Amino acid sequence: MTKRLLITAALAATLAGPALANSLVAPGPVPRIARSTLSAVPGTEWNRLSARGGKNVEIWTLDGDELNKVTFYGGVLVGDTLFRAADRKNAPLPKVTPNMLITDIPALLESSYRSQYNTTQMSIDSQEPTLVAGHKGIKFTYSFVRQDDELQRKGEAVGAFVGDRLYLVSYEAPAIHFFDKDVASFRQLATTLKF
Amino acid sequence: MRFARLALLLAAAAGPAAAKSPPPLPTYTPAYEPSTVDERGLWGEADEEERKLRDSPLVVRDETVNAYVRRVFCTTVGQDRCKPVRIYVVEVPRFNAMMAPNGMMVVWSGLLLRARSEAELGAVLGHEFAHFELRHGLAAFKRARNISDALSWIGVAGGLSGVNTFGLQWALIGSFYRFNRDQERQADELGLKYLAASPYPAGAMPELWTHVMAEDDATKVARGRKPRQHYSAGFFDTHPTDLDRAVTLTKLAAKYGDSGDAAFAGHRTGVTPVLPMLLADQIKLNDFGGTDYILGQLAQSSGWTSDLLFARAELYRARGNPRDLVTAAGFYGDAIRAGCTAPEARRGLGLSLMRSGLASDGRTALAEYLQLKPDAADAKAIQALLAN
Repeated sequence: MTKRLLITAALAATLAGPALANSLVAPGPVPRIARSTLSAVPGTEWNRLSARGGKNVEIWTLDGDELNKVTFYGGVLVGDTLFRAADRKNAPLPKVTPNMLITDIPALLESSYRSQYNTTQMSIDSQEPTLVAGHKGIKFTYSFVRQDDELQRKGEAVGAFVGDRLYLVSYEAPAIHFFDKDVASFRQLATTLKF
Repeated sequence: MRFARLALLLAAAAGPAAAKSPPPLPTYTPAYEPSTVDERGLWGEADEEERKLRDSPLVVRDETVNAYVRRVFCTTVGQDRCKPVRIYVVEVPRFNAMMAPNGMMVVWSGLLLRARSEAELGAVLGHEFAHFELRHGLAAFKRARNISDALSWIGVAGGLSGVNTFGLQWALIGSFYRFNRDQERQADELGLKYLAASPYPAGAMPELWTHVMAEDDATKVARGRKPRQHYSAGFFDTHPTDLDRAVTLTKLAAKYGDSGDAAFAGHRTGVTPVLPMLLADQIKLNDFGGTDYILGQLAQSSGWTSDLLFARAELYRARGNPRDLVTAAGFYGDAIRAGCTAPEARRGLGLSLMRSGLASDGRTALAEYLQLKPDAADAKAIQALLAN
């Protein structure tokens, strides 16, 4: 009986802990996103997840990160990885290297996903130049299938190098219904980014 | 030094080769049906998994490759044994194959890249089939039931807390198909018998195993770790210690003393339609040492073809140290001179040169890329690089 209680308590702690720490992002200016100089002005409410995934990573969602997710990578330094490796010993992640070009940003994201999430099917579908917070950067779209749920997901992202730091903001959602439903909110958000 | 010791061990294990008649195979029971409650449950679960897998986007549908894998499997275990088996090649760039108790075989695409000959591919498929024929799945199932219970809880907790549980799930799913060491030895022995009775040489099995060990070493060395600390990584950790296994297999193979054509060229032809996919998937794994080792092995078999040179260039460019970019540019050039017609070779060359500070040469190569592939997905981004 005691053992059962302990298990229930442990499970409850696991489930409840992070959920309580999520917070609401109100419309209007939001400074210091991802513990960096990154800021944005969302037009609608978002939820900031407490789960970060890395020291310069912040995740926002509308309906849950499996359904729509905006990930901010705020100034990843040369020599650092995009996010924290789940298994640094056996599956280390690729690092930001010097003199990277804008076309290396989608390749870095793809390789990181393949290493971390065993994403074996991923493609970068379009790449075009864009201005991100006034800096020359790239806008790209991608699609991928994770092995755990085999759901087709789509992504859209903008990124740029500023000095020796990489700023990247991505939006991901299932290709069916969810991507199209919220992509406009992301695009609005992307136009307000400042580094 | 390590390899010298390994070579000595393997040579000692092999001893003098003596040609003998192939060993007798156990009597095969066609159209086997599960006979107990546990076994019927096990088959039911496997049937459900197979229904899902059949429609999975991860399944490689290329007819030529599927026909090739089936031909090698049938040549290895014989026509009567191979007929009822359904083979699914899935796009997972790691070394593995598994066989479910209901006769479904899953072959990971990484195996096709690592096997260097039909015989080496047949060795793995035969080993997995041996587990099936020896009904090893039934014993594992009783353990797996408990693991499945744990799995459902982990999925719930992970989903809500935003933690990626994939690695954990996969590890557990992997253990669903794990067998104990005795069962692995039995499967090794029966697998070798299949090979010995087939046109392929039984020696292919220890050879493949040696390469798997060497690739693991190469991966570790490139990541600044000590090689051969524990060969029991990932899915292989319930298998017999790899070195022990290679030595035992070599001894057994020598006992059968069979010869035969390992069919290196046949394997190259068989995987040709998916080779660019296999190489691209491997390069993006961020495993420089292991990937360079695999490319070297492929080149030993076929020479440095334009495909392999291009892949090696991509590998170096992905690592992206200043020296890597210079090396990559060299390999792209070699690939183009060796007849690589993929526009992406020009793209890689141009990007490597630009990152190395040779902007005008880089622009020339990128302009050639756009000329060859004006509607490329990244055409606009490349144009922006040209304009800068």
